[in-house]
Amino acid sequence: MNADAQLIEHMMNPQNYGEMKPNDAVGMGKNPQNGEKVAIYLKVEAGEDPLIQDISFQAIGCTTTIVAGSIITSEAKGVTFSRAEELISITLGMLDNIPPEDAACSEMVALALKAALDTYHERQKDPDFPMISYKIQTDCTPKEEEQA
Amino acid sequence: MKTLFKDVHEAWLATQFTGFMSQTQNRQDLYEFANILFKHLTWLENDFIKNGQDYDYSINQVPIRVPQLSVMIHNIIERLEKIEKELSSCKDAHITFRMQSDIDYIKAALAKMPDENVEHAFDTKREYPNVPLSDEARDALTIFLFEESYKEYELIMVYNYSKANSNDAFLNRIFQILIDESFFHLRSFGQMMAEMGILGVPRSLMEEIYKFDDLKQFLKDGIQEEIGAKEECKKLAAAVSESSEHFAAFFTFINNQENYHIALMEEALAHINKES
Repeated sequence: MNADAQLIEHMMNPQNYGEMKPNDAVGMGKNPQNGEKVAIYLKVEAGEDPLIQDISFQAIGCTTTIVAGSIITSEAKGVTFSRAEELISITLGMLDNIPPEDAACSEMVALALKAALDTYHERQKDPDFPMISYKIQTDCTPKEEEQA
Repeated sequence: MKTLFKDVHEAWLATQFTGFMSQTQNRQDLYEFANILFKHLTWLENDFIKNGQDYDYSINQVPIRVPQLSVMIHNIIERLEKIEKELSSCKDAHITFRMQSDIDYIKAALAKMPDENVEHAFDTKREYPNVPLSDEARDALTIFLFEESYKEYELIMVYNYSKANSNDAFLNRIFQILIDESFFHLRSFGQMMAEMGILGVPRSLMEEIYKFDDLKQFLKDGIQEEIGAKEECKKLAAAVSESSEHFAAFFTFINNQENYHIALMEEALAHINKES
């Protein structure tokens, strides 16, 4: 990851970091390769297209994951679920254009958000529905290590 | 008492990281006060354990970006005053008496602490005094410092939790050495972050990081992580070697220290295997 000024701000002061209690839904994104994971917590205003009133995340992961979590949760705060779905699609669509180790982290955060939205939907039908967890598909091994 | 515990944890970090931003004798004084506050954290933790109460290391983010040291000193004093009001939530009068006595002294010393400008610690210039860095070396060093400052904080808390919840003297000796080593590394990296203008307090730990079921597996994973950290140090030493002999030597030194950590964890593993 290149450390430009905006990214450094997210490293020094990650936005929306921490567990949210109480919450309306939690979702998890996991990297089965290395055990890294991201949890996203949502506070939701109900409606036909629900609104993300508040959002936070926690991670067991590297600095890139924290930066991705800080950026994506900042973008998702205050938007409707349909806009959040678009945000997830845009993020997942960009993965081919970034280094694999960075792509894996962004995918993990995007899938955690997707899992949180899906958990919320399921909980409208069944309040005891367990937290949904999605696993990433991207291989996070840097290319030079693959070749070595 | 959970609020008291959390507030002491946050006050410790605020004091420790204020020490990093100082470039005067204040730094050493703040390190000493941070040590005292960390000791308070362990006293309260032992009280939780003695009383069979659950606890965790969750904290709120600790904002430290200030232009003058005095702003943080004022913030730390406010934190200590809040802690004083919460002391009665701990029912062990010996602990609270000692804490109150320490806090009285720390507050009085902080109130007299000379002010200094600390904007350099947050200017994000990423320049190291008298050390020319290539763009590649600068980026590598930046990422390394964020990764490793968090990692050292994590290790301090993981080994502290393991030590607090174990009665095995052999293991606890090893845990204490590893805590001390991580404190040294955290201080080294924290000072470097301040020099480069990228100082930030590590994020809160997820509970499952320190509340694990399998110490053997944790140690095995820890050995692999240390081996990974050695590789990172080697890469970093190579990346900065052209720019700075000083940095190259420093990272080679840190790399070699990881061998000691691996040896300690292997010793702990052998002890557990012998016992089981």
